[in-house]
Amino acid sequence: MNSPPETPPAADRPAVSDAELLTAHINGDPHAFSEIVKRHRDRMWAVALRTLGDPDEAADAVQDAFVSAYRKAGTFRGEAAVTTWLHRIVVNACLDRMRRKSVRPVADDELIEAAERETPGPDQTLEREVSMEVSAALKLLPADQRAALVLVDMMGYSVEDAAQVLEVPSGTVKSRCARGRAKLAPILSHLRNRSDLSRVSSAKGAELRDG
Amino acid sequence: MTGDTHYDLDTLADLAEGLLDAGQARQVREHLAVCDPCGELLADLAAVREVLAATPTPAMPMGVALRIDKALAVEAGSSRGGVGLAPAPDWDELMRDSPWEKTAATVSASISAPTSVSASSAEQPSPEPVRLGVVADDGTIVPARQRRARRSRWAMPAVAAAAAAAVVGTAVVSTGLLASGGGGGAGTVSPPVVAASTAPAVPPTQNRTRARAYALTDSQHNYSDENLEQPLGEFLGPAPILQGPSDGEHADKCVSKLAGRTKLDVFAVDQGQYNGQEAIVMASRKTKAAKRIRIDVVDPFSCKNLRKPAMGRW
Repeated sequence: MNSPPETPPAADRPAVSDAELLTAHINGDPHAFSEIVKRHRDRMWAVALRTLGDPDEAADAVQDAFVSAYRKAGTFRGEAAVTTWLHRIVVNACLDRMRRKSVRPVADDELIEAAERETPGPDQTLEREVSMEVSAALKLLPADQRAALVLVDMMGYSVEDAAQVLEVPSGTVKSRCARGRAKLAPILSHLRNRSDLSRVSSAKGAELRDG
Repeated sequence: MTGDTHYDLDTLADLAEGLLDAGQARQVREHLAVCDPCGELLADLAAVREVLAATPTPAMPMGVALRIDKALAVEAGSSRGGVGLAPAPDWDELMRDSPWEKTAATVSASISAPTSVSASSAEQPSPEPVRLGVVADDGTIVPARQRRARRSRWAMPAVAAAAAAAVVGTAVVSTGLLASGGGGGAGTVSPPVVAASTAPAVPPTQNRTRARAYALTDSQHNYSDENLEQPLGEFLGPAPILQGPSDGEHADKCVSKLAGRTKLDVFAVDQGQYNGQEAIVMASRKTKAAKRIRIDVVDPFSCKNLRKPAMGRW
């Protein structure tokens, strides 16, 4: 699973920290920023792709975000991790795009329609099938719920990390996640019966039920 | 007892997220203990988390990564005031071991011009012998594509500036950007060799001593590194060929200097700009049959290279 924003994967933890690179960039090192990009672009891509659900939009958003981060590196105060700061810029770029396209809250009949939508053909791998269904389902959520679920449930960040990225209290993140999951449950419930998933979720359900 | 009232997904999701107060939570749990449908809903909610977590997150596609590199190079250029502030190195010295100095067979490993993937991906496998190759998925041998050696440190400011200019360039430039950003599609197909034969087209009535061995054009096109990775015939071909002796004295001077150094056949020369600076673009090759050409961009007055001589296509 993905690691939370603060800790880059231990395997390739670099000798130079992100913060040092950012300082070098501000001081005019022409290579420092590309190193930051190289380190984090995959995660930024994942966040943008899942939040926006469209590769073209995601590419635009990530590009905007990195350019914006490049420009305003000087305003980074070090009160958060560089990765948190980068995530924030990417998420905001995504939310801006969604707002501009005025994504409306979804109506109930659309949810039902999505739930009843036929599953893709048998030639597709389970992974791809799930991925497409999840993308389609996420698109039905309001932007703030989508962003919270992408960070917490998909990227595996802690609620606290997500709260820092989104600049809202942890309780708000939890609440957005809960609202989002409640909307997705009817749409994605059929995936529960997948052999590899059902076992885990029943266990989790039992655990929750039993307190 | 709560057996008669079911709970909705929102409430159950709040429970799972720990958002209910203690009394409420206890009440819902008591209900869940006796109500299978609500237990199912709770399991559905848990499944949402599992499904989301299990959804793979793909790595950034190379095309997007390159696009971002370019955008950042533009930023670097504009914030640093653009155009090549680094002192120009002695290109000829640096290029001494370049492919032109060797056999044609080694030409496939190109000197990489920075940032564009299309330049290499669109290379046609040519019938030249002894090419280094790699076995493709379908079993065919394809020319080895040099993994882009990361650009050397001193080259950076010029590259950045070049990319900056590419953005403020003409419509042709932006088309080129799109084409290359898209991973080497239609924009990189070699055009028919039109202008290659223009040199002999100098009318025989010209004074023989004045006749040029190359096609001289005066497109005044503002070249960027992006352009120069496109087949150059697109830019040089359409411009009218100059024949008057007075038109190209700078070009003549620089061409003879270059030809004297490289022993290559300079076959097409264009007067224009490079990133907004007056420049002469010279295309040279070892033989007429060569697919790859050397491109020199020089200052018209000093004949000094404005950028690293690079491999290109016609």
